[in-house]
Amino acid sequence: MSAVDISGVSKVFNTGTQALSDVDLTVGDGEFVSLIGPSGCGKSTLLRLIADLIEPSTGTVTVAGKPAGQARREQAYGLAFQQAGLFEWRTVRKNVELPLELRGIGKAERKARAEEMLTLVGLADFAGHYPGQLSGGMQQRVAIARALAVQPPLLLMDEPFGALDEMTRERLQSELLSICAKTGTSTVFVTHSISEAVFLSDRVVVMSARPGRITASIEVELPSRDDAGRQSPAFFDKITEVRKALRG
Amino acid sequence: MRRLLPPLITGILALILWELFVKLGRVAPFILPAPSAIGAQLAEQRGNVWDAALASGANALIGLIAGTVAAILAALAASRFTALGEVSVPFAALVNALPIIALAPVLNNMFESTSSIPRRLVTAIVVFFPVFLNTLRGLREIDPTHQELMRTYAASGWTFAVKVRLPGALSHLFTGLRQASSLAVIAAVVAEYFGGLQDGLGSRITSAAAFTAYPRAWAFVVGACLLGLTFYLVTLLLERLTMPWKRSLIS
Repeated sequence: MSAVDISGVSKVFNTGTQALSDVDLTVGDGEFVSLIGPSGCGKSTLLRLIADLIEPSTGTVTVAGKPAGQARREQAYGLAFQQAGLFEWRTVRKNVELPLELRGIGKAERKARAEEMLTLVGLADFAGHYPGQLSGGMQQRVAIARALAVQPPLLLMDEPFGALDEMTRERLQSELLSICAKTGTSTVFVTHSISEAVFLSDRVVVMSARPGRITASIEVELPSRDDAGRQSPAFFDKITEVRKALRG
Repeated sequence: MRRLLPPLITGILALILWELFVKLGRVAPFILPAPSAIGAQLAEQRGNVWDAALASGANALIGLIAGTVAAILAALAASRFTALGEVSVPFAALVNALPIIALAPVLNNMFESTSSIPRRLVTAIVVFFPVFLNTLRGLREIDPTHQELMRTYAASGWTFAVKVRLPGALSHLFTGLRQASSLAVIAAVVAEYFGGLQDGLGSRITSAAAFTAYPRAWAFVVGACLLGLTFYLVTLLLERLTMPWKRSLIS
């Protein structure tokens, strides 16, 4: 069974803008897929369709074999945005606990699970801090820990590292990969950055604008996903290939 | 201490200048009594000032709590139902512009002369508007990311209100409450000028002035001033206790 199945999806907004036209996309179990394309190509719209934050005009979206709406209500995915979107009045641990709290999970288990997730993103020592006391990169890691807290089979990310500096960004990319490998989570990752997409993904899906549609799907094989991998010829070849696809 | 020192010195200097101005300028005590005379009266009348301040303080506190609770409930309703919000804001702004204290004589006629309700009612109405308008603004300012997140958690409207809207509106609520806390004391004191039960600071000020005991009148004014300050400081303290995440930002 595939993690996400999108078939024949179009989206027309009330304003009459055609955001997506006839999109088909399948994300396999445990697969890491990036969506890349120019502004306005509908990559965020596609992500929001999977998350059931908006509904498709035509076509169907299924997540883990279930309709997207049902998957949302069952919290079958975790979501992270460009803005960490932490609740400033909750401590770091309480932020991570929130999705568990809304699922009705008991206090002791919530605490244990939140601390486990914070250890995973390397912030165990900051559990009692408030978000306002953390740097942008740390806040984003808390947001990822929160998205992972319900241990969802699917992770949806909308430019989660977009607002961070290059160094932090590369470190978090490596962290994200090791987390996904550890938990076996499937991921759909929206980004503007070609190198980020190539480094992270098993497959890079290239989109074009007006109307938004998928123009290419590029499989990525790297010798390793670390600093050596970033230097490998295969990495640069794939970057060139994605860039060409983006230019159409 | 370093932050307290400059205003303290300025205050003491102002008192000295005032004293000198009255003494050297031979200003008649019925125009402006000297601070030393006011201080002497305050010491002599401290029992009376204390009792009157307790009475006025109780009125102000009850009015403040009642007005705040009503304002928060109204703001929740107005933020929940768009139509209600659109009607209530211009209406609230209009009523807020009226001198609500002027309602005191009308309310005094509605209740018995031994009733404390008119003063408390005036206070509650005065408190209502700043708290209502500020809280409503806070409730409406919602981070779109929070909104989407809560949707992905399949959170109900009630959960959303309690976990996101209310805590998010707290700092706005306290902005309103800080204004309201001083206004509550002013309203509770001034409402007595228009009759009703005469056991608070307002009635003492008017009666002392009527007996041309101006230093005594001023002593009660100082009492009212201290009462207002107490209300304001307690509100500040409450704000810091309620929002520990703000405090940790400053430190």
